[in-house]
This record gives sequence, structure tokens and C-alpha cells, in this order.
Amino acid sequence: MAGASLLSLRGLGKDYGGRVAVGAVDLEVPAGTIFGLLGPNGAGKTTTISMIAGVITPSRGAATVAGHPVVAGAAGFAARRAIGLVPQDLALYEELTADQNLAFFARLYGLDRATAAARADWALGVVGLRERRGDAVAPYSGGMKRRLNLACGLLHRPALLVLDEPTVGVDPQSRRHIFDTIRALRDDGMTVLYTSHYMEEVAELCDRVAIMDGGEVIAAGTVAELVDRHGGPPLVELELAGDAAALVAARALAARHGALAGDDPTGAVLRLPRPPQLGPLLADVETAGATVVNLSVVRLDLERVFLSLTGHSLRD
Amino acid sequence: MLAATIQKDLQLLARDRGALISLFLLPVVFIAVFGAFFSDDGGGRRRVLVVWAADAPRPAAVVAALEASQLFELRPATSADEVRAAVAAERAHAGLILAADFDPAAGRPAELAIDEALAPPVRLPILGALTALVHRAVFPPPAGADRPVLVPRTPPGVQRVLRDVDAFQLSVPGNAVLFGFFLALTVGLAFAEERRWGTWRRLLAAPVGRWRLLVAKLVPYVLVGFVQFGFLFGLGIAVFGMRIGGSVVALVVLAAAVVLCAVALGLVFAATGGSEKRMGSIGSVSLLIMGRIGGAMVPRAIMPPALKAAGLLVPHGWALDGYFTLLVRDGAGLADIGPQLGAVLAFAAAFLALGVWRFRFER
Repeated sequence: MAGASLLSLRGLGKDYGGRVAVGAVDLEVPAGTIFGLLGPNGAGKTTTISMIAGVITPSRGAATVAGHPVVAGAAGFAARRAIGLVPQDLALYEELTADQNLAFFARLYGLDRATAAARADWALGVVGLRERRGDAVAPYSGGMKRRLNLACGLLHRPALLVLDEPTVGVDPQSRRHIFDTIRALRDDGMTVLYTSHYMEEVAELCDRVAIMDGGEVIAAGTVAELVDRHGGPPLVELELAGDAAALVAARALAARHGALAGDDPTGAVLRLPRPPQLGPLLADVETAGATVVNLSVVRLDLERVFLSLTGHSLRD
Repeated sequence: MLAATIQKDLQLLARDRGALISLFLLPVVFIAVFGAFFSDDGGGRRRVLVVWAADAPRPAAVVAALEASQLFELRPATSADEVRAAVAAERAHAGLILAADFDPAAGRPAELAIDEALAPPVRLPILGALTALVHRAVFPPPAGADRPVLVPRTPPGVQRVLRDVDAFQLSVPGNAVLFGFFLALTVGLAFAEERRWGTWRRLLAAPVGRWRLLVAKLVPYVLVGFVQFGFLFGLGIAVFGMRIGGSVVALVVLAAAVVLCAVALGLVFAATGGSEKRMGSIGSVSLLIMGRIGGAMVPRAIMPPALKAAGLLVPHGWALDGYFTLLVRDGAGLADIGPQLGAVLAFAAAFLALGVWRFRFER
């Protein structure tokens, strides 16, 4: 599935005055993949993709897209033609119809009228908006606007589709439609760079992920690789039952086995962060007068990876 | 790409009621209102004079002289009090009370009922005309000695003025310049909207040179400026009877300079104006002040000297001087508006330089 790098970043960074927005990002995005750029708000994701798309000029480093250098002026046009940017803002002319928006953006990429019309029809089909093509965009729902925003980025059939938080403020149905569209585009050979601060989205959608924080890429790989490398061992979670005194005693005894209090506010949940010797632990719990009513292995996720790498939560 | 941008921006403008109103509807309303106002103030109509004259030789001679002069629209009154009441109620600009014992030589002048607080441009011509008329009626020159005391002659180097110039000759170009420069605000706001909508990011990401993008964004408004000029002057001619005494070609050239100047000023707004709200408020006030100083609302000719000179600090003043020359001077051409055209183009170049210097593609 994954081939050679379609997008390559070498020490790409951006300063605003004396403030470093993005330090020096090195990244390889394989062709034909959905690549997630995960990080909290302010991590530098939008600045990074803005540099890739040629919207802002990097302070340092270099980027290539499909072998073309991302540089200012005419020398950078080939790279720009290879990129379809779908900004986080709904970058649409809301007083115009979907067709008028698409016609304008298509011609901006040098498509003649006939090709522009054909591509608009195709893009509207991809995002499921053909029926509303003649309507002004303003009264569209948030999800429909997001889909049209995506269609505008597809018109010139870019090799790299760059999506900046494309599901912000959309309903579940539209989110599902956007996900299905992105997968279909990937299956057709398009490479997708997808930024989000939603861990679940990235985990569900992306073939590979880079985690950004404080303007740096702090880890990259598949979700499984990241969890293996940075998530630590699996957790075993015990749910106890019993009166308050029994639960207190059980927690005290379980602590000898390395058990930690879980998320449950009643103190009835214990977590074991390393592979436990369950037999002695269960015996101690019973001795304390409590009963184990549930035992499960907690699935490790990118949230835990992020926490492990940065010491703070993705949602902080 | 240029054609696509022009088409897109015109489509957006066609749906922008606020911009259409400020560029096309408001100027028409202002032209009509101010044109009518200044006409009523003396442009084409005579001042109303209410007269009560006692049945005596001297008053009768004065009334005869007033009627013969046709300088005033005379309305007879039945008493002196009726004259005073008509002036107080502003049914007449002035009133003349000619009592039976009216005899200036004996120290018994006629009474001129007039609001002494009237603006000098209105009050003084009435006073002057009546003084001369009454004086000639009471102290007629000897027979055979009635000679003109002055004759109006346009000095060499100044074209002949069109006959029957009316207030629309001032009102149409005045408002065309005032609202023509409001195009600058439309341009500035168009850039601010592109940034707010996020479409500016999409434009920057396209395989188009940034300066080409900037030019393409400005060109539609140059076209809009020409349409506005054609619309307002066309309406002025067709509906308000405005006439062009000078060269139409020169008028179009001057209009082109004014449009370029307004669009270049729009680039300054785009580069320095900040948010739409800030740009809207500061821009509107700036343009109104410029228009006021430049004589777009009140002709500079009747302004105090200091304000009249200040009018040349803004392009509006130069543009209006040029338009007035072309409208009211018979046969005036490009050579006659050289300084005005040059000044407007110099302002355009300065605005363009400032706008380009301060404009930030990435913000």
C-alpha cells in the first residue's frame, strides 16, 4: 500500500517574530496513505501544512511534494499543483452557488471551462452534493459546507490532499461521509495528509500518524507502532464490589501488587500498569472482603501515547 | 485566471446589497437632493421678493424698476406687516417696504426685511442688487447719460462658460467623486472578507504568482469604477439634464485616473485597515472627510480660503476641479485639465506605492 515518500519535510520551521511556531519538522509521508498529523490546538499543525501548501513562507528547512520543491514563485507552481488544500476555515464564497465556487477554484488551477465543469461534476459526486449544486452555499448545513470545502480541494486531482481539521463542527453523518470519501480517495491512489486534534479520528482513519506538540513532531509511525513504542504495557483493570471498609482494605492490599486507583470516583476500580500476578492479588482482595465483579484488559490508545510522550493530555 | 477572478468578484458584488447601494443608489439620491437644493438656492431660480409699496410716485418707480430687471420673483403684499411676516415665515428670501414718504435724499430709506443671519452668499447678492436697483430708480441718470457701468468679459485663456449652467453641473461630479472614492472601501473590505472567509489561503495555495493574484483582485474594481462613472454621468445627462461643455474624451481620461486613484486607495485600506469593522468605520469617516474637504459636498468655490486650499491636499479637490472645468467650460480639453489630471495620477501612484509597501500576503 505505502510506497515512496510523496511528501518530504526536512527541518521545516516557522518563526513569528521571536516566537517559534514550528521548530524543525522532519517527516516522510508515503504515497497512497492517509497520514495523520495529531496534536492539540496550538501544536503547529496548521502552520506546518500552511508551509507545505505554500500559504506561508517557512523560516527554515525545505519541503518537496511529488519531487517538486515547495518554494515561492513560479518554481513552486508544480508543487502547488500537486497539492489540494482544504483549509480549516470554510474557504468558500457563501453568496455564490456550489457550481460557481467550483468553477472559480478550478480555473485558478488553470483548468479550461470544459474540464472545470467535468471536474466540478465529479467532485460534487464524490462528496454527494450534486443535487444542491445550483444553490447558494450560505444556507447549507455545516456538514454540507465541509463537504463542498473538500470538493474544492479535489478539483485539480491533486497527488496530495491536505485536510486541516475537516470534521470540526460537523454532524456524525457528514463525518462518516467525509471519512468514506477520504478512504475512497486513498484507495484511488491519492495521498492524504489529515490534521486533527481528535485522537479517535486519527486512530480510525490514518495509516500512519505523526504526533505534534509545541511545534515539533515528537513521534511518528503507525498507530500500533506508536502504542508499542510509547504506550507502555497493557493495563489490567479490576472492578470490585463490597462495602466501603472492604474496598479500602482491598485497595491497600492491592497496592502491594502495584495496583493504582482507576478513574472510578467510588474507588471500586483498580488498574495494574504492569503484567500482574493475578492469583495472589485476587486472594488479597477476597481476604479484604471485596469481590472482583469484572476484569478487563484496557486498550492502549494514542491518548496514552501522547500522555506518555508529553506528560499532558491531548485535550489539555 | 484574471477573467475568472473578475467574474467571481462581480458575482459577489452583484449579491452585496450594501456595496451596490453605496456605489450606485446613494449617489443618485444625493445628486437628486443636492442638485434640487442648490437649484432652489439660486442656481436656476430667482429669489422671492415680497413688496409692499404705498401709492406714491417713488415707490411706484422702484416697483417698475424691479419688474423691469427680472432679477427677482416679485410677490405683492397688502401691508408692511404682511411683508415682515412673509420673510419671518421664510416664504420669501427678502421683503421691500416702500412707504408713502419714502425719500432717501431726505434721510427716509425703504425698509429691507431680511434675515441678517442669512449666509453671506445668499444675503449679500440680494442686498447689492436691490441697492443698485433702488438707487437707479430714485436717482435716475440724466437723459442721454444712461451708460452701462460695467460689462462682464471672460479673460483670455479661460474658456467660455456654458450658458444656463445649473446645480446638477456641480451635483453630479461632486457625488460621482464622493461615492467614486467609496470604491476604495469596497476594495479594502473585499480583501478583509477574503481573509475572514479563509478563501485567501486557498488563493495563496494556488499555482498563481502572488503579485498577479493582487492585480487580479484589484482589476474587477477598476471595471466597477468605470461602470459607476458611466452610470452616474449617463444618468446626470439623461435624467438631470447635465451638459458637458468640454471634451468627452478628456472626461473619460480623468474618470480613469479617478478610478485608479480610488482603487489604489482601496489597496491602502486593505494593507492597513485591519478588521472589516475597523476598516468600515475608519474608512467611511476618512472618505467623508476627504470628500468634504475636497468640495464634493459643498463646492470649494464658496469655501473659506483656508478650507479651499486644504481641498487640494486630497485627490477629490483636484478631480472636482478637473470635472468642473470639463463640464462648464465650452471646448475645454485634456490640456486644460493637465494639472488636475497629473495631481490625481500622482495621488494614485502614491497610494499604490504605500499599499504595495504595506500589503502583507501572509497575516
